[in-house]
Order: sequence, then structure tokens, then C-alpha cells
Amino acid sequence: MATTKTHSLNKWDTLHNNGPFPLKKLYVTELEGDGNMPDKIDRYNDAAKEIQRLIKESQEANHGFRGYGSAWSMNHIASHKDRMHYNGFMNIHIPIIKENCHTNTNFEASNLFLFECGTTIKRISEVLSAHGKSLKTTGASNGQTIAGCISTGVHGSALQVGAVQDYVVGLNLIIGPNEEDVVYIERHTEPALNDDFANHINCRIIRNDKLFNATLVSLGSFGFIHGIVLEAEPRYLLKRYVKKINKATALKLSDTLDFKNSIFKIPLETDSEGHGITPYHFKVFINQYSKESDYVVELMYKKPYVSDYKDPFPIIKQSLYRDLIHLFTKMAENFPKSIPWLVKRLEKTILPQVDEELIGTLPQIFWDAPYQGPAFACSVGVDYKNSSKALKLMAEITTEEGPIPGIFAMRFVKQSKATLAFTKFPVTCMLEIDGVLWNKTNKIMSLTEFSRRMIEVLKQNNIPFTIHWGKNSDWTFPNLVNHMYESSEINEWKACRSALLSEDMMELFSNKFLRDIGLADRESHVNEDLITFL
Amino acid sequence: MNRTIKHLTLVSFSLLFTCCYSVRLRSINGDMQPDPLMLRDDYYRGKEVVELDTVIKIDITSKDFTYLIKETEKCKSGQLHTIEFKNTFGGSLLSVVTFGRKRKMKVKYVCTQPTN
Repeated sequence: MATTKTHSLNKWDTLHNNGPFPLKKLYVTELEGDGNMPDKIDRYNDAAKEIQRLIKESQEANHGFRGYGSAWSMNHIASHKDRMHYNGFMNIHIPIIKENCHTNTNFEASNLFLFECGTTIKRISEVLSAHGKSLKTTGASNGQTIAGCISTGVHGSALQVGAVQDYVVGLNLIIGPNEEDVVYIERHTEPALNDDFANHINCRIIRNDKLFNATLVSLGSFGFIHGIVLEAEPRYLLKRYVKKINKATALKLSDTLDFKNSIFKIPLETDSEGHGITPYHFKVFINQYSKESDYVVELMYKKPYVSDYKDPFPIIKQSLYRDLIHLFTKMAENFPKSIPWLVKRLEKTILPQVDEELIGTLPQIFWDAPYQGPAFACSVGVDYKNSSKALKLMAEITTEEGPIPGIFAMRFVKQSKATLAFTKFPVTCMLEIDGVLWNKTNKIMSLTEFSRRMIEVLKQNNIPFTIHWGKNSDWTFPNLVNHMYESSEINEWKACRSALLSEDMMELFSNKFLRDIGLADRESHVNEDLITFL
Repeated sequence: MNRTIKHLTLVSFSLLFTCCYSVRLRSINGDMQPDPLMLRDDYYRGKEVVELDTVIKIDITSKDFTYLIKETEKCKSGQLHTIEFKNTFGGSLLSVVTFGRKRKMKVKYVCTQPTN
């Protein structure tokens, strides 16, 4: 039997110290050992029963319940004031075989894998590598759990791929304590698994595009995500270049993504006519306090996998003195005018080394990012055509109303099908500022005030935008979500949630974050069509 | 005289600081065993770190010793992921004055997260 330890606590915090947030009980569930229960499906189903027991226990106590993984989100999206469940020990993986696939599927069975919610991106990559496969993209890091990634829309900078949720093809949710509350959802237009497999994991099957798309980026509120079926692809290599290029050229590239006609080219990455090739990944680093004429850019190109490539790992990885980061923070709080000077001193540590060239697999290129102290990140999504305009406006807030102890970067992500994905534009430019977490003083505004200014300025300048669900913002800003999404998208998401969950379970799976952004309400009319097997 | 004292103090401090350093070895594979209750503010935040700060007594005929990592609640896999050892001036001195019979062991380690 899976076992759960219950810890009575009064607070919980994120990895990057963005809390603390109130909490009453923390559940930590561990699976039955494979020595006692060798069959993975048995252990998976056993874990589902345990989660249902905990949901029932929470419901009977009139408490809310929320699962979380690596605690990487930098706001209160993962927190619940009542009961939280740590999923990190729930990491079963089940490779899908042809016999498990739907008769009408277009997916190649060998590319499909079921991962349990608490599996980290790093572990997934290791499993996939052992099968000669790779994830299509990650969040440019590897510590998050898969359930956390998709619930908050984690993205890298994969121009032709999208965010993590965009290669998910099936979801197993636990939406209550009863037998019929274990459901498997996938698109009816793109079925992946057959009914037999779903029956093995004791699931009620719902094949419905609208429901699936709403559930993909669920903000943790469509139930407990137990399993995720994702589509991998054959293993590949990424060749990474770091270059310094003229600001105007970098901004033009960001606004057009026209690598073919750009004056910036990497000689080895051109087509037969000498035009630049569109990279797999494009990132622009911006030290907004620097007067230099160039930006550092990072580009990655996809290459076929070969076994004999140079090891991309260094032997030694250095990290900054924690005391130095603490000193930086204190100086930023008390002498904010020193921030540009401090950022400049740390540029070598913050920015990748220029002219560095590496080749490696996706998990090698985006390896571990150890904890380096309290941190913040504010990330807005805009249509890539508005990249430079949005950057100029956001940078001006930091230079004219700041400074703020962080620097900007821009990454570019293909449009998602998820109803409330923040990567909603044809290609979304994710414009992010991240740095050390500071406290408001009479010399520097608070993080919430700064993020409010970001929202106000984008609105004043009529730039449509979204905000990364897992990053810092002024989440109580009036009508924020209504401004970010069409009312039809919001209504569809809420309608799907209302149709899938009972009234009790909607309450149980709602948290302060959901209430702050106005998405916790139940639709008065429940549209059963949304949970109909099509 | 004052100058000599200053120099001596400076040399002593330099010796103390340079003799006290940490070395960390980390596997590039696997995740560290997590501990969601571990809210420390260092490299091991959220990880099940085991800290050993002890003196090991060994036979005068023994050249070295091996500390065995076993499967425990804090090391579910019984496999090392990261290990950090700290060398201190006091530790080195202890080994010298006891002719190697007593060895100061100041170690932090984290085991690999078990997989399913």
C-alpha cells in the first residue's frame, strides 16, 4: 500500500522563498515498494486509491486540497491554506506499447509514455534517453515536475514546438473520492490510448477536445493530475551558440523572427543559398542598465543524434558566494542607485559566455540549476511583433522608476492549443525580468508595485499581453484575466471545470490564487456536452 | 613589536582560512532525494541532506577508513548523488597530533532519489 505521512505545519514556502504562505497539513505520499508490488500498473492504481483517501479526508474536514511538486512557481499558485500534497515521490513511468494505442491514433506507440505527476523533467529525460527518445522541449531547466509544468504553462524557447503542455496527449485526473472520479481525458480528434489501457488504470474515459484543452493548463484546479501521457521524439542534439550582436539587429530579429533575411548569420547554420536558418531556440539577454551597443543572444539548432560528440559538461561548476547575493540584495534595498553597477559586476555570472559553442542532448544543454537564494521573476507574454516595443516600455520602468535588481531576457514560443495558455499568440515573446528578491524600502518600490506598473504600462500602450502563471505579478490587479484572454476562452475554461467537477470538488480544488484571479466561480449552467465522450 | 604581532595575526588568520575549505562532488545523473520539509537557505534547500560531524578513531595500522552509506529513511536508494566534505585547520591538526589515529569527518551528503 502507498503510505502517506501527514505533517501539521503553519506555513509553506516556494523553492525561491516567495512566501511564506499559510498551511495546515502537508501530506507526503510514497509508493509501495516494487519488491512488494512488482507490477507498475498495480502500484499506480494503489497510489490513486491513496490520493482518493486523502481527498475524502480533506473533504470531511471541510478543507481544500492541492498537489504540488518541486515548488518552483514563484507565487501562490501551488499553495493552499488548508492541505497540500507533495507529489515528488510519485514518479512511476510506463512506456506505451502498440497494444495500448487507440485504433485511430496517429501517434507512434514508441514515442508515447505515461509519467506519474511527481516525475521531474530530469528523470523524464533520463527515462526517454534510455529508450533513444527525448522531450520536444523543457522550461530550459530540469527541476520541475511534469504536473507542475503543464499546470502553469512552463516553456522554453522552442520556436516550432511550444510549451511543455503542447506535447501532452492524455491526462489522468483524480477529481474526487469516488470510483467514477478517476478519469482519463484526451482529444477526440487525436486519440492516443485505447479503452483497455484506460480500464487498466481504472479510468472513466472522456475524449473531448474542448475539455482536454481546458484541462491542459489547469492552474492545479481541475483535480489532482495523477498521470500525464506525453509524446516524445527520437533523441537529437542541440548545437548552442552564444553571440554578441548589434541591438538593432537583435530587436529586428525579435520583431520579425526572420532569420532568413537577417544580416546576422551563423556561417555554419545557413541553407544552400546562404540564408540564415531559423533556430530551434532563440533567446536575447538584455542588461537594460548597460549602454553597450550589443546584446548577448543564444541560439540553438537541432542536429541528428550521433554518439561521438564532445562532452558538453564542464568539470567544475562554480557558484556565487551566498553572502555576496545577500550583500547585493541589501545594497539594492538601501542603495538602489548601485543596482546598475552591481549588475554589471555580475554580468559574467548572469550571462552565458560569449562565443561559447556547445553540442549536447536537450537534458545536457539544460542541466541542473541549483538553488541560489531568494529570487523573483516577472514574465509577460506578447505577440512577437511587439517584442521590441514591450521591451522598451518594460525597461523604462526599471530605469526611470527603479532600478530593479534584475535583468531582462526574451524567449519565443509557438502558440499553444491550451485554452488558458499564456503562450496564446501565433508566436509569443516571453519577456521576463528575473533577479534577486528584495524587500520594499523607502528607496525602492515593492515587487508587487513593480509588477503592477508592468501591467499598467502595457495596458496604457495597448499591447495585448498575458502573464506567466507561475511567476510574480500583481495577481489581484482588477480584471487582469479578463484583459489577458477573450471572454469566450475564460467562459469555456470555467464551463469545462464546472462540468467536470462536482460543486464540493470545485471548492476543494480552489485556492486563493484562483480566487484572486476570478476563476474559482462555478458556472450557473453546467454544460454536460463538455464532458461528453465524443 | 606591534608590527610583529600584526604579522603573526595576519599569518594565523590566513592559515586558518586557507586550511578551511569545502569540496563538493555531484553526479550529473539522477535527482537528489527531496525533503519537502527542508527549508534551509543553502545549496541543499528542499533536499534530504545528511550531515556528519564526528571524529573517527582508527587503528594505528590502518591507512584509511571507509564510511558505508546504507539504505535508510534519509537515503532511500542507498546511492550517493552529492557529497561535500569540509577540511578544517582543527581537523588537520587533530590528525597530526594523534599520528592519524583520529580523523575529523565533516561531511554533507545527499542520496539519489529512488525511481519507480
